[in-house]
Amino acid sequence: MRNVLKEWTEGHVTIAVRGKRFERLINMAVREGFYIWNIRRRSPEEGECDILVRDYFRLRPLLRETGCRCRVVRREGMPFWLIRMRLRPGFTIGIFLFFLGLYMLSSLIWSVEIVGARNIPAEELQQAASKIGIKPWAWKVKLKEPQYLQQQLLAMVPDASWIGVELKGTKAIIQVVEKEQPEPPKMYSPRHLIAKKKAVIHRIQAEAGKTVVKVNQFVDKGQVLISGVIGSGGRQALVAARGRVEGEVWYVVNVSVPLTQTRYSYTGEQQSRYSLLAGEYAIRLWPLRPEPFERFKHSEERAYLGYGDFRLPLGWKKETLYAVEEQKQKRSREEAIALAKRIAQHDVLKKAGEDARIKDEKVLHTKEEDGKVYLSVHYAVIEDITEEQPIVTLPPAPQPGADTSDQ
Amino acid sequence: MKRWSRRLRHLAAGVLDLPQDVVLEVPRITMIGHLQMYIENHRGVLHFSDKELRLLLTNGQLIVNGEQLVIRAILPEEVLLEGRIAGVRFIEQ
Repeated sequence: MRNVLKEWTEGHVTIAVRGKRFERLINMAVREGFYIWNIRRRSPEEGECDILVRDYFRLRPLLRETGCRCRVVRREGMPFWLIRMRLRPGFTIGIFLFFLGLYMLSSLIWSVEIVGARNIPAEELQQAASKIGIKPWAWKVKLKEPQYLQQQLLAMVPDASWIGVELKGTKAIIQVVEKEQPEPPKMYSPRHLIAKKKAVIHRIQAEAGKTVVKVNQFVDKGQVLISGVIGSGGRQALVAARGRVEGEVWYVVNVSVPLTQTRYSYTGEQQSRYSLLAGEYAIRLWPLRPEPFERFKHSEERAYLGYGDFRLPLGWKKETLYAVEEQKQKRSREEAIALAKRIAQHDVLKKAGEDARIKDEKVLHTKEEDGKVYLSVHYAVIEDITEEQPIVTLPPAPQPGADTSDQ
Repeated sequence: MKRWSRRLRHLAAGVLDLPQDVVLEVPRITMIGHLQMYIENHRGVLHFSDKELRLLLTNGQLIVNGEQLVIRAILPEEVLLEGRIAGVRFIEQ
């Protein structure tokens, strides 16, 4: 029935009507087609109603006929706003300038963000971008189409395979996809490959350099395996020796395994304790009288009040105790030996390096004493025994192993 | 003559299944709880205060009692009344 938008755009007034025949006035006004709403009684002699400005000027004959007097209580709507704005030009101009400023500031570029540049320096991209107008405090309107800018940027930055320019509000985002550059080959300085352990050579696979040992030869620690000096006599050259020499290395490992095993397992019982933290002090809140378990594991959570990096020295702590129980388990001798062997193998492979493999395993000695099984195992392991040794002086210092192999 | 006319109208309402307010010129009142009241087919306001609204009907009067009554909107044949409505009463003439 009501149209608030119309009421507002045309403007309406609240009038107070004084007179005995208020109802008659309303009946007549409604019959005339006036737009009247919010009719109230203020007192037996006075009524109040809202009426459109347009209808207010046509109300006069009706007032005279009914003998009522009216006065305006409140004015609302756009026409009255306009009048008020005209009365206060400074205020109006201020509002206008505010919106103008907002619009102007939002049509500037405030920041340039560069995404995806890892090898190309950001300064170079920024310089290139500012040459074609993408820089802070530049007008967005003056910039050309992003696709055109992309092409221009790409021409200026040859290391990029694709550049995307996107304007997001007041932010210019330059997305760079770099060309995939092949990695520069590693440069090695001249070097020998020497043995890092006492071993018997099992296999030689030389890629560069001169092999100076043979298969099944025994080598000492530090002995040259693949020499970085090639050629002979007056025509010698230095290279970085590369290759892989596998040798058989012997290890003796001593392991002891107890025959009874103690294990702790959770019983499922747990207890939480809450404390208030203030500085370095903790005040226990709950439970008031803790009854600790005989054996337990314990975990703790601390939370402090604060926001972001700022932290108040106030907080709370939650401790949880999990009850555990001891379980003893007996092992047979065979089980213990098997376990000891597993441990020993693991041990040896850790010593020998990643790509080592066990060639031979021999139990040297088994002993049972004080509820423990002692085991001594001999392992023959095939592993890479090379180590790099840079060649500093020319010719390299003659090494005992190298001499023998030359003969 | 008038009696004939009224009889004919009653007959039409019964036989043709027409809404009675259309045929008989009686008000149609819609109430939302005791808060709002929408009256169609009235013939003018006789009396209005914040405790009582008296409307003229084709034959009779409608009296609405309540508190803090306000006429939210009014058209030649419709009234939207708001407030705390306590009672509605018809007076037939």
